[in-house]
Amino acid sequence: MDFKRFLINFLSSFLIVLKRSVGLISDPYKTMRKISMERDSYQLFIIAGLIFVYFKFIYFLRDKIYPATFIYLIFVADFLTMVGFFYLMTKFIGSRKNKKEISFISFIFTFAYSLLPTLIWFLSTSVLYVFLPPPRTFSLLGKGFSIFFVTYSLSLFIWKLILIYLALRFSSKQNFFRIIYMIIFFLIWFIPYSVFLYQFKFFRIPFV
Amino acid sequence: MKNINFRMKQKMNEVFSIEPNDLGTGYLTSFFKKTTSYLKTMPFIYVIPFTFFISIFMYFVLGRFLIKLVTILQYGF
Repeated sequence: MDFKRFLINFLSSFLIVLKRSVGLISDPYKTMRKISMERDSYQLFIIAGLIFVYFKFIYFLRDKIYPATFIYLIFVADFLTMVGFFYLMTKFIGSRKNKKEISFISFIFTFAYSLLPTLIWFLSTSVLYVFLPPPRTFSLLGKGFSIFFVTYSLSLFIWKLILIYLALRFSSKQNFFRIIYMIIFFLIWFIPYSVFLYQFKFFRIPFV
Repeated sequence: MKNINFRMKQKMNEVFSIEPNDLGTGYLTSFFKKTTSYLKTMPFIYVIPFTFFISIFMYFVLGRFLIKLVTILQYGF
């Protein structure tokens, strides 16, 4: 009976994740506002599970220096550090009324959903690595593919920026300038940290 | 009727959960609101042509470096 209830909850959460993912493409503002009020923890496990499956998949394509689970744990630590940083920043710069309104779980949900463009880009790049392995050539097809790939990557990057901004807007409830300050403060420590991750061959491009 | 009122109240709370953005000057605020209104629904309609134009521009400016950049990015996962 308990397993039946778990299965129903899991499947309904899975459908909500799908609906929200489509919503983030077609209607990011309204969807992110709804996500910031979400409290269904199954959705977080589904997103975390999808990312875990991705790390298991790319283990076979990478140099196999570190186990996939270890890389996944580094990602989880990075994610929680990033979310914790923005949460504490909001606590630090927010007004007294604002401090009562914000919740850590809202940050977790919005940032978890903002991983969607990252997951799509990393997954599609790894699949392309199999079917169209680099290096790219200077032929007409090579140039055409390069323009397509840059367009695709930039589009997902802009989508990611929109989602990160909305995640911060609805979780922290701060105005535009304060959100930009928070992102600048985040980049001050995150860029050197990304170089560290690259040097130790954990990630070439950080998965955030 | 009670249910409709409850849902209406819930929706109002959702919509007014954050204060509107104010960038200091009226011109900046209205420019910001106009620009972001295009990104609130179906942003890809504007984003994809914009990034395609940027990519073509980058190809003409960077030339072969763009192709090398794509090779590096393809190893980036």
